[in-house]
Amino acid sequence: MSVVSATYRLHSISKRFIRSLSAVSAHNSLKTPSTRHRVEACIRNRQFSCYPRALRSENKVTVSFINRDGEKVTVKGSPGDSLLDVVIDQDLDIDGFGACEGTLACSTCHLIFEEDVYKQLGPITDEEMDMLDLAYGLSDTSRLGCQVCLTKSLEGMTVRVPESVSDMRQSDFGTTSSSS
Amino acid sequence: MALLKQMRHLYLRRPSGKAENRHSLLCALGFHKHSASQSPPTVEENVLPGNGIPSAAAVGQDTPVKTLKDMPGPSTVSNIIEFFYRDGFSRIHEIQLQHSQKYGRIFKSRFGPQLVVSIADRDMIAEVLRAEGVAPQRANMESWQEYRDKRGRATGLISAEGEDWLKMRSVLRQLIMRPRDVAVFSDDINGVVADLVARVRALRGQQPDGLTVLNVNDLFFNYAMEGISVILYERRLGCLEEQIPRLSQEYIAAVHLMFSSFKTSMYAGAIPKWLRPLIPKPWRDFCHSWDGLFKFSQVHVDRKLSEIQAQLAAGQEVKGGLLTYLLATKDLTLEEIYANMTEMLLAGVDTTSFTLAWSTYLLALHPQVQQQIYEEVVRTLGPDKVPVSEDIPSLPLIRGLVKETLRLFPVLPGNGRITQTDLVVGGYLIPAGTQLALCHYSTSLDEDTFPGATQFQPQRWVRRDPTDHVDNFGSIPFGYGIRSCIGRRVAELEMHLALTQLIQKFRIQVSPLTQEVHAKTHGLLTPGGPINVQFVDRQ
Repeated sequence: MSVVSATYRLHSISKRFIRSLSAVSAHNSLKTPSTRHRVEACIRNRQFSCYPRALRSENKVTVSFINRDGEKVTVKGSPGDSLLDVVIDQDLDIDGFGACEGTLACSTCHLIFEEDVYKQLGPITDEEMDMLDLAYGLSDTSRLGCQVCLTKSLEGMTVRVPESVSDMRQSDFGTTSSSS
Repeated sequence: MALLKQMRHLYLRRPSGKAENRHSLLCALGFHKHSASQSPPTVEENVLPGNGIPSAAAVGQDTPVKTLKDMPGPSTVSNIIEFFYRDGFSRIHEIQLQHSQKYGRIFKSRFGPQLVVSIADRDMIAEVLRAEGVAPQRANMESWQEYRDKRGRATGLISAEGEDWLKMRSVLRQLIMRPRDVAVFSDDINGVVADLVARVRALRGQQPDGLTVLNVNDLFFNYAMEGISVILYERRLGCLEEQIPRLSQEYIAAVHLMFSSFKTSMYAGAIPKWLRPLIPKPWRDFCHSWDGLFKFSQVHVDRKLSEIQAQLAAGQEVKGGLLTYLLATKDLTLEEIYANMTEMLLAGVDTTSFTLAWSTYLLALHPQVQQQIYEEVVRTLGPDKVPVSEDIPSLPLIRGLVKETLRLFPVLPGNGRITQTDLVVGGYLIPAGTQLALCHYSTSLDEDTFPGATQFQPQRWVRRDPTDHVDNFGSIPFGYGIRSCIGRRVAELEMHLALTQLIQKFRIQVSPLTQEVHAKTHGLLTPGGPINVQFVDRQ
């Protein structure tokens, strides 16, 4: 079965939802000026980010990811972006990361934080805690990347991508979670 | 060489499963016979030789991976007798428990030509679900597909597979999966809850004692149908009125027909097509009820579409929710919208209503637990404040109540997966394309994961602090991951808001008319008899 790679899909969908605010009518028989308003009205908070992009300052926040193979990758993200946004926007190659696209249905964007950083992170919801219960390699400083948003005070933080079962499988059976 | 790779794979994955096999099997046995859990181990389901804790050498080099041939399980004949002669279909959840005790936490069964590998182990289920790809397949949905082909209909989230499924899922999850997206439906749902409370008062008023609501599941069916329709169709249907509108009545009849034909038509997917001329009724009923379900959705979708068109023609601004958005963006075709509205409605009514009925029953049976939850509600909201979704985090026992109800009565007692790649689970090589049955009913009642497993303890789900985590793959009533229940957050909202208000307003008591109610499987895990409860005003 040929399926589009998860990363590409996430990327395209996040873009699509932002785009759909203005370009909803391309193939739309209901095309009128008011369509845009309506869609805006019902889209509500349908982006990955915790805050509307307009509220962000241009001051980027530097984040380092330690990948499953121990490699450290340092990237920049905008305040308000979730760590899942950052992984997608920066095209970081983390297999299976964010499978449910930030909809709190899985725990594949599980990340491990340094203790002092963990304490600074925003509040954790019940739904996130429930999903963390199902995360592989859970630690006391684990959070889901889709629920943690960048702020200036997190500048320079390092997060670790926990090892995953599918990593092991991939080396044994070939790719299971995406192919492109 | 391939085998070597698999062995290495097995070794690498063992740390997650560790030595729980022995312990938890014994506890599962202890579920039926409580004293057994105290006795020394006599049965051991060794996935691996030795003491169950594999060493690298034992697993990596010496242990051959077993095949399906080696896997224990009931014989085909005994399965036929169990299911067709002894009506095992209504006891699937019990058979699941019995078989896992008898054959171990992974076993195989045959249903006609269909081989099913059942997994009744929390850690093995976790391994399977964590290994999923981007488009997991649940089960063979051939009969659903066949109906849709025959009528020229599209598939929806339940019946679609592969890229078709993924496309629809990607659109729909962005609309109704995120808790904060669903929270905006709070006011709409509360409108329905207000009608539910009024309906409770009206129904109990019709009884001699002025307190009893007979067969509370019927009431919750109507509540769930009204609730999901507000979200899916952006429209009230009048299911909680004295006189239910005709169209809604027809739909209810179609749903009932669908579920009454479940046993014959769903499982009779095992009945080969060539037998249909001889036994035509199941397939006819199946098609007939789908006709009813699709018709209902189509009427409501079409109505919304013409409303939008009329508003646009009049130059008005069009505002709306889920359906409006789908119709406007055309991310899905009109046929796909019909199909998804149909399947989401079907999936969102009985599931919610059975869970609410069980919750009510459990509260009535456990007045002390109910009192504890009542006190939490009143402490948080006072006697009158209508709860909204933002209040739910302050009501951990309400969340615990729903989780505990679904643990004891998982509405889907088992879920299916068809393996997409070769997997090694529990020491067995399971080839790609194998139908798995994940036995949630058994794992939910595992004493190892849930001490006092047969007891109703909503408190067990309340966390002491955010780092208080449990490995809860034992109870995953909505599933896990990319193919988990898309209606989960909607269902939770409907149940949290309804239960909070019912507990706030009424003391729920068992009616003398109620016999002990056991679960039976009828497609879903349903109450085996009517649940009649009394609603006594708190004030």
